[in-house]
Amino acid sequence: MKHKFMALASLIVVASLVLAACSPSATAAPTSAPVATAAPTTAPATSAPAATTAPTTAAPAGCPEPVDMASVTPPANPKSVVGGWSQEPNNISPYYTVMSYAVWIAQLTIVGLAEWDENGTFVPELAAELPTAENGGVSADGLTITWKLKDCLYWSDGKRITSEDVKYTWESIMDPKNTPNSRSGYDKIASVETPDDLTVVIKFAELYPPWQTLFTQGPNNTGSILPAHILEGKTGLENDPYTHQPSVASGPFIISEWVAGDHMTLVANPNFYKGRPKLDQIQIKFVPSPEVALAALQTGDIDWYPDFAESDIATVGALEPKIHLKVVAGTSFEHYFFNLGTLKGIDGEPKSKSDNEGFCPFKDVRVRKAIILGIDRQAIVDALLEGKTTVPQSQWPNSFWANTNLTAEAYNAEEAGALLDEAGYKLGADGIRSGMCDGKETKLSFNFETTDKQLRVDIAIAAQSDLKKIGVEFKPIHTPAGTFFATYAEGGILGTGKYDMAGYTTGYYPDPYTSDWRCDVPSKDNASGTNNYHYCDAEIGKLNEAVNSTADPAKRKEAIDALQKYIYDNALVVMMYARANVYGYTDRFVPGEFGDYSNLNWNSEVWDVK
Amino acid sequence: MMWTFLIRRFIIAFFTLLLITMICFVLTRLSSDPMAQYATVQRMSAEDRAALRLKLGLDQPLPLQYVRWLGLALQGDLGQSSFSKEKVSELILQRLPLTLVLMLSAQLAIVTLSVVLGLIAAVKQYSITDNIITAFSFVGFSMPIFFIAFSLLLLFAVKFKEWGLPYFPTGADIWDPKDIRELLWHLVLPVSCLVVIQVAGYSRYLRSSILEVLGLDYIRTARAKGLVERQVLFKHALRNAALPFVTILGLDLASLLGGALITESVFTWPGMGRLFWEYAQRGDFPVVNGVLLLTSGAVVFATILTDVAYTFIDPRISLS
Repeated sequence: MKHKFMALASLIVVASLVLAACSPSATAAPTSAPVATAAPTTAPATSAPAATTAPTTAAPAGCPEPVDMASVTPPANPKSVVGGWSQEPNNISPYYTVMSYAVWIAQLTIVGLAEWDENGTFVPELAAELPTAENGGVSADGLTITWKLKDCLYWSDGKRITSEDVKYTWESIMDPKNTPNSRSGYDKIASVETPDDLTVVIKFAELYPPWQTLFTQGPNNTGSILPAHILEGKTGLENDPYTHQPSVASGPFIISEWVAGDHMTLVANPNFYKGRPKLDQIQIKFVPSPEVALAALQTGDIDWYPDFAESDIATVGALEPKIHLKVVAGTSFEHYFFNLGTLKGIDGEPKSKSDNEGFCPFKDVRVRKAIILGIDRQAIVDALLEGKTTVPQSQWPNSFWANTNLTAEAYNAEEAGALLDEAGYKLGADGIRSGMCDGKETKLSFNFETTDKQLRVDIAIAAQSDLKKIGVEFKPIHTPAGTFFATYAEGGILGTGKYDMAGYTTGYYPDPYTSDWRCDVPSKDNASGTNNYHYCDAEIGKLNEAVNSTADPAKRKEAIDALQKYIYDNALVVMMYARANVYGYTDRFVPGEFGDYSNLNWNSEVWDVK
Repeated sequence: MMWTFLIRRFIIAFFTLLLITMICFVLTRLSSDPMAQYATVQRMSAEDRAALRLKLGLDQPLPLQYVRWLGLALQGDLGQSSFSKEKVSELILQRLPLTLVLMLSAQLAIVTLSVVLGLIAAVKQYSITDNIITAFSFVGFSMPIFFIAFSLLLLFAVKFKEWGLPYFPTGADIWDPKDIRELLWHLVLPVSCLVVIQVAGYSRYLRSSILEVLGLDYIRTARAKGLVERQVLFKHALRNAALPFVTILGLDLASLLGGALITESVFTWPGMGRLFWEYAQRGDFPVVNGVLLLTSGAVVFATILTDVAYTFIDPRISLS
């Protein structure tokens, strides 16, 4: 018996040693809340984080003194809301992440020079005005962009926000000792000069037309300005405590607590350039399931949830008036497109640049137009999306870049049939049309590839039913997203172009400076090609060139309109619907205007509660 | 002899774990690509992706990646998450405490209820009570856990609130686990969910085991020498019937570290199950392998512990 106890005791000791060895430091007791790993502070939820240093920079003439956060007494009953996010941001700096949630948290805490408002208009944030050719902000050759900052800008710790912060931000992105996810665009900058505290002169080494996406905040673009006085001299910023829990903020709120895997608490920043936010506190709980979020909205455990799917529109809408549904038609769009093979290279090569030749009948524009006219897209939007979004007329809908002179084609089965007749495709006994294409008898029967998301399955069934009425056999194949979107080398459906027709969502980033339509078709000789349409057209090449040959947004808009019109006239894509952002929120929560692509968080300073 | 046994078992355990890590590493690397999440990020150029690939060590051949990972793991360094850039050991330690709270509470309730129900069902074999317990066991055993979880959530949180009754939290509220009252209040639904599923199987297992023991000669002898039924049951029958039960329990105890994926997700419990699921979806193989190493290590260790525990429960068993 003694031996047994000895053995058991030994086992327990071994187990304890193993556990102790795993622990990097003294850890919390099992019942205590886990805290953010490298958190500099974990202040109570209702208290503001202490200022790291007292303000040492005197307020510029004519500016109010910054508020010393240490002197702020948190209210006993803070005016607070709780949001549910389906995922936890991995950090707060969009330079070191690809997560939308990190962009969202940056909008709440560390802002950029400019942003896009609820109408998709580019508006100044830390900048006093937008650079234009007229105010001298954009040089004649487009290579120099000059930003002017607002006069009285402070970090939450009272330090001034100056042009040095912008310069430091660029230097940190380009520092080889840091590993940002992307240096795209920033690597085109030759220098950032700071002639005074409020002026930033950015000189590009070569023309970079989407310069508006640098140092600014939009959907999926990086743009927060980093605090030089906190980070200067540091490297490996992807692992720096500031990247995971910033001690100072320039946005309306400051993170005061981040309990990893559970929630974060943000408190109002009294030094925010637009003034102190209306709310004292925002808490964000990470709720992985939309079903749970719906239950939590009903019990009042959370006040808003921004991650509902389009298929949840009816469910959330049924909870009115206790729970409000807000659907914002976005700038991303679901579109179907045709595999035409490569007709002719941009360099005039007649030889195909793609490994496949596409589906022959699609080379006839009348067939493509018939398919566009033969799908009742409005009925799909009405039935499956509760009529809450729109059928777009052009790509990049609901944005500055949409060509509003175009009109979405209305459903017209008769006209579709007539076009197919004209193209020589006659109805067969089996109800499917066939005709000659490149000298071969070809049936209008083809595969349609997309992912296996339920809404895509439902929409494909509706399209199949519509097209059957005009004698077209549309055969949906649903593949998991990983396979569908995989690269050419991995044998992905899009990458290899192994489809007749395909569909997915693409969008606005927030500048249509995109490689989608460039003649960069993936093939065995060009495995990293990005043109998933597998379509290379000399005219599109020229139009794209015009879009990207100027830094003047007005001129670029004209060029984009022309590109859109060409795509529309040649029926190259079927614009199915503008993707909708679906929000649910409680009656007590009073949000601001919802942005199309700046989302809910862009104006959190005006949020309130009833 | 005991020490020889333990040393032998630990050596075998080491190689077992080595094999497990190798299999897990290869499977996780082949089944997911950490770079996949960056595939459609338009602002990332081919150079950006190549640099990240290099940084994550994905440019190395798979065997070399494994050897590097293992070398660090043996030194107690489970690496860094390719997604959040945080240390894997820190991520695990952030989630482990609350997982242990949930799983140990559930296990305590499960064992207590299983013993009670199993005992009643065995003693009152084929009675109405036995039939009711059997029926509930089958219902609980056959229901998918997500169905039970969402049903509990809908009834005791949403509907109870709607009906003006005291209601349980959904778990999606902000609460402080350091406050014992809040902790207990938030434990009720997830623990109930786990109990419904687990008690069914355990109680049936124990019932069969007790019934088998009750038919043995030494129980008849115990009764013949005049012991009251309670003594027969608790002093003689239950102890021997518990042996196979302890085997299952021992293995299940180890799996407690892995958390309960669905229960944690539905009740927004920030534990190991959610950690594993969230990072597995992103192809974050350092985190996935870290969690797998911890859980498989715990299973291997628990097996040894169970073997030792046998000798306490049944003196006839000797490790020599």
